[in-house]
Amino acid sequence: MKLHLPPRVSPKAFNAMLTASAGVVGKDWVMASDADRDAYSDVYAPGSAEEWPASAAIAPASVEEVRAIVRLANEHKTPLWPVARGKNLGYGTAAPRLAGSIVLDLGRMNKILELDAKLAYCVVEPGVGFFDLYEAVQREKLPLWLSVPGNAWGSVLGNALEHGIGYTPYGLHARNLCGIEAVLPDGDLVRTGMGAMAGNPSWHLFPMSYGPTFDLAFSQSNLGVVTKAGLWMQPAPESSLELVWDIPQAEDIGWVIDTIAPLKISGLIDQNVFIPSWLGKMVLKGQRKDFWDKPGAIPEWRVQELLKEHKLGYWQVALRLYGEESVVKAKAEIVKAAMKRNLPAEPAEHWWHPGDYIHGVEITMGIPSAVPLQMSDWIGGRGAHMGFSPVVPATGKHVLDQMARGRKIIADFDVDFYASFTIGGRFANNVNMLMYDRDNAEEVAKMRKLFDALIKETAKAGYAEYRTHLGWMDPVMDTFDFNDHALRRFGEKVKNALDPNGVIAPGKQGIWPAAYANARGGQA
Amino acid sequence: MRALLLGAAALVAATAAAALPPGPPPGPPPPYQMRPVAPGGDRLSPTTDGKTVFEVHCGYCHLLGGMGSNLLTKQRMMMGETPDKGLLANRTDLTADYVKSVVRMGKQAMPAQTKVDITDAELEAVAKYLGKAG
Repeated sequence: MKLHLPPRVSPKAFNAMLTASAGVVGKDWVMASDADRDAYSDVYAPGSAEEWPASAAIAPASVEEVRAIVRLANEHKTPLWPVARGKNLGYGTAAPRLAGSIVLDLGRMNKILELDAKLAYCVVEPGVGFFDLYEAVQREKLPLWLSVPGNAWGSVLGNALEHGIGYTPYGLHARNLCGIEAVLPDGDLVRTGMGAMAGNPSWHLFPMSYGPTFDLAFSQSNLGVVTKAGLWMQPAPESSLELVWDIPQAEDIGWVIDTIAPLKISGLIDQNVFIPSWLGKMVLKGQRKDFWDKPGAIPEWRVQELLKEHKLGYWQVALRLYGEESVVKAKAEIVKAAMKRNLPAEPAEHWWHPGDYIHGVEITMGIPSAVPLQMSDWIGGRGAHMGFSPVVPATGKHVLDQMARGRKIIADFDVDFYASFTIGGRFANNVNMLMYDRDNAEEVAKMRKLFDALIKETAKAGYAEYRTHLGWMDPVMDTFDFNDHALRRFGEKVKNALDPNGVIAPGKQGIWPAAYANARGGQA
Repeated sequence: MRALLLGAAALVAATAAAALPPGPPPGPPPPYQMRPVAPGGDRLSPTTDGKTVFEVHCGYCHLLGGMGSNLLTKQRMMMGETPDKGLLANRTDLTADYVKSVVRMGKQAMPAQTKVDITDAELEAVAKYLGKAG
């Protein structure tokens, strides 16, 4: 990829920044060739990766190096785009929002600093991946479980800071963060919570600060660079039971939500319950052309045939309970009785006890895997995906309305409907997966228009996305319109106060510093 | 090896949130979920241990059970080869230059790898280990 300089930065100033940075991290960790820029581009970009081009990448190995680089960025007015491991697939990968930003790759900061089985938490640097943490737990044979996203190739902290979700009792990953260390835009270093006192052993245990609590202000944020954080983990349960129901019809999702959400809110079910539609199963069985070889959406009659052929329901509920066996058994009876009111079929039951096989592809038990990414092979070619991910209240009515709206819009664009709802408590995350071949320009253009339509129509109904791709960060922020976009105005006041040069992740989530305000809404 | 790979293929048919297959006995994690410990030392210095470097940096996709192995097993079988050729370590047709090119440029489902993912020195060792065709 050719060099795109940051706004108002001359080649000379840019080179001066790189030379000075090489003095901090070493010349090998300043990466600015065309091939390097390609490696930091959005691998799933809906269109040309040059829409969101990085100018270079710098990889510090310590907090002090991060501070030095941030100070240099201020001096040379070169914006930085911090990434943990840069695997935010479907949302932009490692690519920056503002063209010409320098990726600050924290992947070398990959130490597990604490792993405490007694109080069930860890302290990690941003470069620690889910596989790294899982393997450390296995090696030390600790009674701890992780909560992992569908693709566990990425960073534990990066995923939590981006509001990633998992499917265990610890599935709301940002909520597991406890005690953060962050480099501020002027190079200062702050620790939140009890960590604000030097040497306080409760840093990663008590989730609030004395005074305002800023931990989550560093999530989906451009207010600082998180360099380490505590993360609560799930104590390994004494047993676990999975109950699996195939749910026959699309409209059944209404009663399913009305059955499960109250049990989740009451605490009887403690995991995030993931309910994928049938296509979520099919994408791992082969390629689309094996099942439907025409370009438009798979017609309903063929969907029904496929469900029959592969013995699938339209949805699948694979609900997992955790804890002492007698408690799990009692909970299971309550859940089964509740489901039986609408579905006579008994669920399949899979018990797990310590010592049983646990590994493989099992995200409800916190086992990391990148296997779900195989869905990129469904379309073929350079397969890619984007997720349209609004949040709705966890009631049947809201979920049915959202499904009907999303399904119609997606059908109008002649695209396959692949949705999931994850019940996280009082809300459900609805992810609509849009899969495409990056080399099919017509298909990519259609997906972009579809994404625009989904944002617009969903916002009209009163709902918004919880996370989005670089290309839609501004449109989604626009949907948060209360009191003339007061949230954005507040965010930008804070941003400008802390980061007058706008050097940390300008445009992240639609928060633009004054220094780059004219880039708002631009493609790049 | 064949039986193991067929087992892995069956696992692929399971979905992310699907039930654990009833078959597998208690045992250690599959290789892709228990990579070796990364060798210490300077990642920029030449290393001869291409096998360990490969398993550490490429293993979560390209050891047995990983996403890359699953996809490649399917591809190689469609080409009439045996399923064990889905594992890069069993291939005899790869050249060092080809390995380097795919790692840095990406290929189909595989994204390009940065120099933080794998340094040039590490890639050199991996390319030598996998590049059995020269």
